[in-house]
Amino acid sequence: MPYLGSEDVVKELKKALCNPHIQADRLRYRNIIQRVIRHMTQGLDMSGVFMEMVKASATVDIVQKKLVYLYMCTYAPLKPDLALLAINTLCKDCSDPNPMVRGLALRSMCSLRMPGVQEYIQQPILNGLRDKASYVRRVAVLGCAKMHNLHGDSEVDGALVNELYSLLRDQDPIVVVNCLRSLEEILKQEGGVVINKPIAHHLLNRMSKLDQWGQAEVLTFLLRYQPHSEEELFDILNLLDSLLKSSSPGVVMGATKLFLILAKKFPHVQTDVLMRIKGTLLAACSSESRELCFAALCHVRQILHSLPGHFSSHYKKFFCSYSEPHYIKLQKVEVLCELVNDENVQQVLDELRGYCTDVSADFAQAAVFAIGGIARTYTDQCVQILTELLGLRQEHITTVVVQTFRDLIWLCPQCTEAVCQALPGCEENIQDSEGKQALIWLLGVHGERIPNAPYVLEDFVENVKSETFPAVKMELLTALLRLFLSRPAECQDMLGRLLYYCIEEEKDMGVRDRGLFYYRLLLVGIDQVKRILCSPKSDPSLGLLEDQAERPVNSWASDFNTLMPVYGKARWAAISKCQGAERRGPELPNTASFTTSGPLIPEENKETAQELSDSGALMLVPNCQVTAEYFEKTWLSLEVAHQQVLPWQGAVHPDTLQMALQVVNIQTIAMSRAGTQPWKAYLSAQDDTGCLFLTELLLEPENAEMQISVKQNEARTETLNSFISVLEAVIGTIGDIKS
Amino acid sequence: MIHSLFLINCSGDIFLEKHWKSVVSQSVCDYFFEAQEKAADVENVPPVISTPHHYLISIYRDKLFFVSVIQTEVPPLFVIEFLHRVADTFQDYFGECSEAAIKDNVVIVYELLEEMLDNGFPLATESNILKELIKPPTILRSVVNSITGSSNVGDTLPTGQLSNIPWRRAGVKYTNNEAYFDVVEEIDAIIDKSGATVFAEIQGVIDACIKLSGMPDLSLSFMNPRLLDDVSFHPCIRFKRWESERVLSFIPPDGNFRLISYRVSSQNLVAIPVYVKHSISFKENSSAGRFDITIGPKQNMGKTIEGITVTVHMPKVVLNMNLTPTQGSYTFDPVTKVLTWDVGKITPQKLPSLKGLVNLQSGAPKPEENPSLNIQFRIQQLAISGLKVNRLDMYGEKYKPFKGVKYVTKAGKFQVRT
Repeated sequence: MPYLGSEDVVKELKKALCNPHIQADRLRYRNIIQRVIRHMTQGLDMSGVFMEMVKASATVDIVQKKLVYLYMCTYAPLKPDLALLAINTLCKDCSDPNPMVRGLALRSMCSLRMPGVQEYIQQPILNGLRDKASYVRRVAVLGCAKMHNLHGDSEVDGALVNELYSLLRDQDPIVVVNCLRSLEEILKQEGGVVINKPIAHHLLNRMSKLDQWGQAEVLTFLLRYQPHSEEELFDILNLLDSLLKSSSPGVVMGATKLFLILAKKFPHVQTDVLMRIKGTLLAACSSESRELCFAALCHVRQILHSLPGHFSSHYKKFFCSYSEPHYIKLQKVEVLCELVNDENVQQVLDELRGYCTDVSADFAQAAVFAIGGIARTYTDQCVQILTELLGLRQEHITTVVVQTFRDLIWLCPQCTEAVCQALPGCEENIQDSEGKQALIWLLGVHGERIPNAPYVLEDFVENVKSETFPAVKMELLTALLRLFLSRPAECQDMLGRLLYYCIEEEKDMGVRDRGLFYYRLLLVGIDQVKRILCSPKSDPSLGLLEDQAERPVNSWASDFNTLMPVYGKARWAAISKCQGAERRGPELPNTASFTTSGPLIPEENKETAQELSDSGALMLVPNCQVTAEYFEKTWLSLEVAHQQVLPWQGAVHPDTLQMALQVVNIQTIAMSRAGTQPWKAYLSAQDDTGCLFLTELLLEPENAEMQISVKQNEARTETLNSFISVLEAVIGTIGDIKS
Repeated sequence: MIHSLFLINCSGDIFLEKHWKSVVSQSVCDYFFEAQEKAADVENVPPVISTPHHYLISIYRDKLFFVSVIQTEVPPLFVIEFLHRVADTFQDYFGECSEAAIKDNVVIVYELLEEMLDNGFPLATESNILKELIKPPTILRSVVNSITGSSNVGDTLPTGQLSNIPWRRAGVKYTNNEAYFDVVEEIDAIIDKSGATVFAEIQGVIDACIKLSGMPDLSLSFMNPRLLDDVSFHPCIRFKRWESERVLSFIPPDGNFRLISYRVSSQNLVAIPVYVKHSISFKENSSAGRFDITIGPKQNMGKTIEGITVTVHMPKVVLNMNLTPTQGSYTFDPVTKVLTWDVGKITPQKLPSLKGLVNLQSGAPKPEENPSLNIQFRIQQLAISGLKVNRLDMYGEKYKPFKGVKYVTKAGKFQVRT
């Protein structure tokens, strides 16, 4: 067949449609119409034959009608004047004896999407709402929403809304669901459809009659309903029970969300529900549909935030098989990271070790970062694996391993020795900016323990002219200056050369300024340099707070089964802002990549750390000096202001606790040694107004709880409460570190 | 809810689009293509993509992308499931869900989409009901239609929609009353180098084909229901009855449907029916390597293992392979580096093996990792978990139905690391 441009095709088809011989032959006529539709779906502009197609709609052949209506809905907005001609036929079809035809006509009429059509469709819709065939009622109910959309932002038709509310009692389940959908759209301005007690109970009773889509949607609508009493609440939960075993994961997730939200005051019910859907989630995680699997994995991660041990016994489910797509593998690796415990750590690490040599560089890097994450808890094993990985001499692996080391050494200073031994030699295999920066930082900060550090840096100094990344040069300047402080003899010469180069020849202003700054700093004197550059080399408390930030279920229950877990919270906020406030806003970079590059502290956790240090209006002063004698005297003279019991599993690590308390400015006065029974600790803190808080912690292992008694030298409940919440947060955080 | 749907083939052509609300321009798919480009491999496109005005939720099925455009917050699982249902429906109607099939039947596709969604909300998705609204194309019917000029659209409304039980239509009548059940189990497993099981699990389903007149009330019991520790049910099953008596009691839908799906997890012992002996080695600084694998039966409960296929993704440096199979035939695609060995069935007297030489690109470093073997197999008349149907009883109707149960075990994601 010769190629025809769309104009020729239109002309040819127009001729055919007008041909009375073809019109007389039903079959040929329909074939021509099918050709029009086919061209239309391929994107050719077929609006030229609108007139002829309108004529073709006057037929008894239902397929032909369908096709013509489809055509009209597509082109009506382009030819509004001609489309008005079609309305007449459509109106007539709306009173056809065949319910199929009535429904079809009504649906098409509502989908015409052209201005001015409202006045014609109002009556047919109202008739449709009272039609005896449920098929037509379904269409009519949704038609109400379409009509409302056509009106634009005009007023809500009260009578219509009432009619729809009454149709919620319709015997056809799909009509009921459609009513909800329709009302939701019509009442969008007023916050959507209102679910009161009778409606909620009506819907709950009809639940088993709905199809899976209906169930899933009704479950989201029911989220709006607040039960009035505890009894009612548990009645509702009982009714929903069987939905947790539904074969559709969507319904199961919807039901779970409703359970979590309704039972927000009953943590044990929430835990129980999450326990019960474990199987369904795990099944979805290995489902044939990779997309389902992905969404399920995202939710697994969400649950793990609150119940860290929840899936531990099933860790093997999250082993990757090599044929899986990337995004699933990355999620699985993250989940594995969070599942690690004493029993499975060896297996998980062996598995991750295998991923590090994966053909896909991205995935291999993600696996290395994951090992780095686990290393915060199981340092020795992980550092050993990472060191072995360096032996592979692969560029993409070496660079991430070095970056992991940098992050790790900051959080776990105990591994410094091992890392320093592993480093020599890996400079040959690092080419990218990130990796070089990490290596140079390590050499600078821990250079005194690495014998050949100055010589490695010297190589970098030699090649600084051909270095393309300014960030690397900056890092090099700082590192060399730091190393100069600990090993002056070996570094003085090259430091001079580097400074000379940076100041005289460097083109990048940032690097040049940094060079000048250091030069002038050196002029001021070596003590000043030390004061400015010798910052602490590690900060273990940071890792402690980050790792154990266990969030209550209620903090994410409302995000469950939405798009949020799929994106992660920080990113979600950014997207919603971009979508909501500024519609034409600039596109977000990297919205689609799920690669996690393991930043030192994820955004959200920074917030937690912040919150911990300054919850509420309470400001605890650092370095409040209370001697043991003074403490004892005051303790005996005061009444207990508050007493509370917190759950506590396992033994106490006094150092960890002391460190964590230090972070929020609570001083430890005295503490029993680890393992003593009962275990006791005395703490003190002072706020900015001078109010003193004295605390006793008492742990009796057989009860698995920690008793807290707080005394205050000025009776002020507000500050007392905020102090207790700070204390609770710290103890809650430390409490579940699995020993 | 679902604004628009785009169907995109592997080479990036949008060959079908359907809009339920306002028309969304095709250019929205550019974000999808961008993500596709970034993902390098087509299969790695993330299922949820956000654009400044919309979200795109996509599924990848049979080399086609179903990309849906969403404008408001939705439960992601809901949309993903629905898209799969659309693909399933196409498969059901046209026998395959391919670009060619969809293009050939574009009119039916539009009719289906129109019935499945209205204003973006799912309406009729049950295959039983859809088939009454729109008859699937068959060769015979298209011949008949072209002679008589009749259409493949039902002229009457589906009757089932008003019966008290939404999944079953009223007034079903058959001359032969039959009820068949297929117990299908798939083994997902990862076997490590030394032959130890890293992970193994059984995913099972019971599919039913019920052709019974009237309103039969069935109850199906198992010899060992305790095996099923994690089950999800078709809505027709009475959950309370299962909880108390471990009996599946239900009024079945008419025709084919999935009764339950279940999982037997690694806690219970999962039998691995095959073992693989392998030695794959690449020499340092030489352009050759050795490849030798043998497959044998293990824990197969005396049943024959058939339909065995081994697929291996060889490393990129492999140029070609010269192998000799003792049984079956093999192919190696030098472009995708995929080795496929079609073994057939195992006879224990002479175990099938495949051995020979591997040609490597000269000068390239030797691959760090040996490839994994993906194995497919099938065992008839055996449910590897040991699940057995005890009896099927029917109440509510007078006639005596013909009953049958078939068992089959298949490999799911069965992977052997080397």
